[in-house]
Amino acid sequence: MKIIILFILIFQFSQVNADEIYNLIKIPNLEIYKLKNENNIRYLNAKGDFKIGVDDNIACNKTNQENLNTKFPTIERNIKRYNSKFLKKINLKYVVFCEGLFISNINTGGIPDNKNRTLILDINFNEKYFERMIHHEIFHMIQNSYEEDFNDQKFSLFNNSDFEYAECSTCSNRLNLDLYENTNGFLTEYSKSIPSEDMAEIFSFLMVNKNLIEEKIKNDPILNKKVNFIKLNISKIDENIL
Amino acid sequence: MIKTIKASKSEKILFIFLIILTVSAFSSFFLLKNKCLFIDNNDLKKLNFKNPDNIAVMNLECGNVIIELYPDISPKAVERFKTLIEKKMYDGSAFYKVVENTLVQAGDIEFGNIDYLDYSKIGSGKSGLGSLKSELSDDFEFTEGSVGFARSREFDTEDSEFFMTLKEIPIYQGEYTPLGKVKYGLEILKKIKTGNKAIYVLRPDYINTFRMLETN
Repeated sequence: MKIIILFILIFQFSQVNADEIYNLIKIPNLEIYKLKNENNIRYLNAKGDFKIGVDDNIACNKTNQENLNTKFPTIERNIKRYNSKFLKKINLKYVVFCEGLFISNINTGGIPDNKNRTLILDINFNEKYFERMIHHEIFHMIQNSYEEDFNDQKFSLFNNSDFEYAECSTCSNRLNLDLYENTNGFLTEYSKSIPSEDMAEIFSFLMVNKNLIEEKIKNDPILNKKVNFIKLNISKIDENIL
Repeated sequence: MIKTIKASKSEKILFIFLIILTVSAFSSFFLLKNKCLFIDNNDLKKLNFKNPDNIAVMNLECGNVIIELYPDISPKAVERFKTLIEKKMYDGSAFYKVVENTLVQAGDIEFGNIDYLDYSKIGSGKSGLGSLKSELSDDFEFTEGSVGFARSREFDTEDSEFFMTLKEIPIYQGEYTPLGKVKYGLEILKKIKTGNKAIYVLRPDYINTFRMLETN
């Protein structure tokens, strides 16, 4: 029996990726893109395609260097808005760049992974929503770190009693990310999917266009309560983010 | 009558050539087999240190690796490291994780010793002294020859396992608790048996002895 175990181990050992970045965040085929940053964030780049997660359900392709160099200033400008203390509190240290990010065959802009302190970003995500998407995904990391403060049920109570969210973010067809003219409690169609996406949409709009949201909430009491909820709980973590 | 046949000049040259070839083949076989050849084993009598209290001497097959410990950076971690050295708990410890030209790792007291090596559990062994809080430094750079405490995926899980870097690994800065730097003997570490493409080494090299300088 011991010999069989040894053979299995030898086989498994030969499959292990010995890369030092892999050792840290369990994503293969990465290289350092930019290491020294004021807020201690570390940018990594996919030099090869990778598949990770349960049954390799997360897949992404290597980046085109020129494409990344073009988009990096936008990404950096947005992530610079979070200081090192805040990033530490929400368990974010590594941002991984790749192209064509899929989770369970569904295309997505970003995947937050608090356990490995990593945010994977698809640099080819729709340019129109790209900056907002970064903050949207960061909100998910905030919520994962402060589940009590950003409780889904508590947040859902702000809606009219006849409204119901979907079972999950991808099991509804409420996917549009454009801002509603008449908000009526929700900023986008995607906000109606599940409470955490609703919160993430509010947070991301507050990060990229706070003034517009301040205008919207003047005539929308439900949205007003939701926005104040997000602001209040974010300020508990760091007063200077919003 | 037996007639003596004299060897021609070319036959003599060929004969000498064959002798030279045989001698060089034999000598290179034995020389190449000795991986420690031409490596300075760092004789302690010839070396002077500013802080002898913080100098640890790891004796390996090819000689002594001299490590300077940095209690100012990681006081608790260095204290633990010294305790394990003084209790001789690292003696016989296997370099079970060796990434070629990158790092070597040893120090699994429970499952990674020459007297008891369990490949199904290696890397998860405990020292019995409990886990330590990570002492991270944003200033300590993991250059070639840096020594750090290994940990599991989570922080504050440092116990006894440690690694030594064979090249600069900038991404480790602020990620692992620094213990010190190799002062002499980096070339000895580079001779430690690797697992080729595998991360774990079967039939690994071991630490003969590990002592603080003052007790050496």
